[in-house]
Amino acid sequence: MVSVHGDHAADGGLVRAGAKAAQAELLPLKILVAGGFGVGKTTLVGALSEIPPLSTEQEMTSLSEGIDDTSAVPDKTTTTVAMDFGRVTVDDALVLYLFGTPGQSRFWFMWDELARGAVGAVILVDLRRIDECFAAVDYFENRGVPFVVALNDFPGTEGVDDDAVRDALAVPPGCPLVHVDARDGTSCTAALISLVEHALAEAA
Amino acid sequence: MSVDGREDTRGDGGRVVPNYAFTAGRTRSARGADMPIEALVTATESGLAAAPGLPPESRAIIEASTGPQSLAEIGALLEVPLGVARVLVSDLAADDHLAVHLPLVGTDGRPRRELLERLLDGLRAR
Repeated sequence: MVSVHGDHAADGGLVRAGAKAAQAELLPLKILVAGGFGVGKTTLVGALSEIPPLSTEQEMTSLSEGIDDTSAVPDKTTTTVAMDFGRVTVDDALVLYLFGTPGQSRFWFMWDELARGAVGAVILVDLRRIDECFAAVDYFENRGVPFVVALNDFPGTEGVDDDAVRDALAVPPGCPLVHVDARDGTSCTAALISLVEHALAEAA
Repeated sequence: MSVDGREDTRGDGGRVVPNYAFTAGRTRSARGADMPIEALVTATESGLAAAPGLPPESRAIIEASTGPQSLAEIGALLEVPLGVARVLVSDLAADDHLAVHLPLVGTDGRPRRELLERLLDGLRAR
């Protein structure tokens, strides 16, 4: 078997024949972790990842013009956006990456690239700041990307009625709403399982 | 800038060598412009053989890729933006020094059903 995978294989021979069979089977997957600042995205990624969360940078170019004030650094026309990410080896061939995505709407151009081919998204919600995740719910719903809404159970959010949260966030029927402790790997794994089950149901 | 938009006041990210020096001024690769962030790379035998004679950043990529590494991890390893990592990886792949393993997606652009099922099995076994 040659190591040609997916519909990118035609675009320039990135993938080479002759690699070892074990390597030829390798397949990456990704799940996005969205949510507002400080909601616990990196904590959740860290609780699941087999490596300490890493950070990757992406340069933001012309789309930032008129938004970012670069006057203080006149020679700089690009801004760098960083994303924390982690890795879960699923089996001998599947490697899952979790990307914590910048929350602000001005970074949506990055989400488009990230959302392409993603299993789906976990939208992490802090009930004390619920407004910060409206944009993410809208985004993934409009793009047809499967998602689950995960309530990070901070102190002071006990006893909140799930149906009230669904109403407030306009979570579509059928979209799972789960509770997580972003520090706890078992709890976060359960959220991922809900997402993948939902993605499978959507794919049916 | 960090994850949630806090400004990075270092400006150049604290790098001594500017990013364009790694890529001879190119910001796009002829082949790898669409290589997704989760694409996995592994060093080939030819890459491992050639590594000692390659520039340090190329050598570092090949040495790290004796086990599968994503484009994101290569970027983090070298402390360069994703676009720079993409150019370097594409060049090494073009020279057959790296094998690139791309995601398997269906016509709808989503991962194939059998992959989702394997992922589910793997997560449930954790």
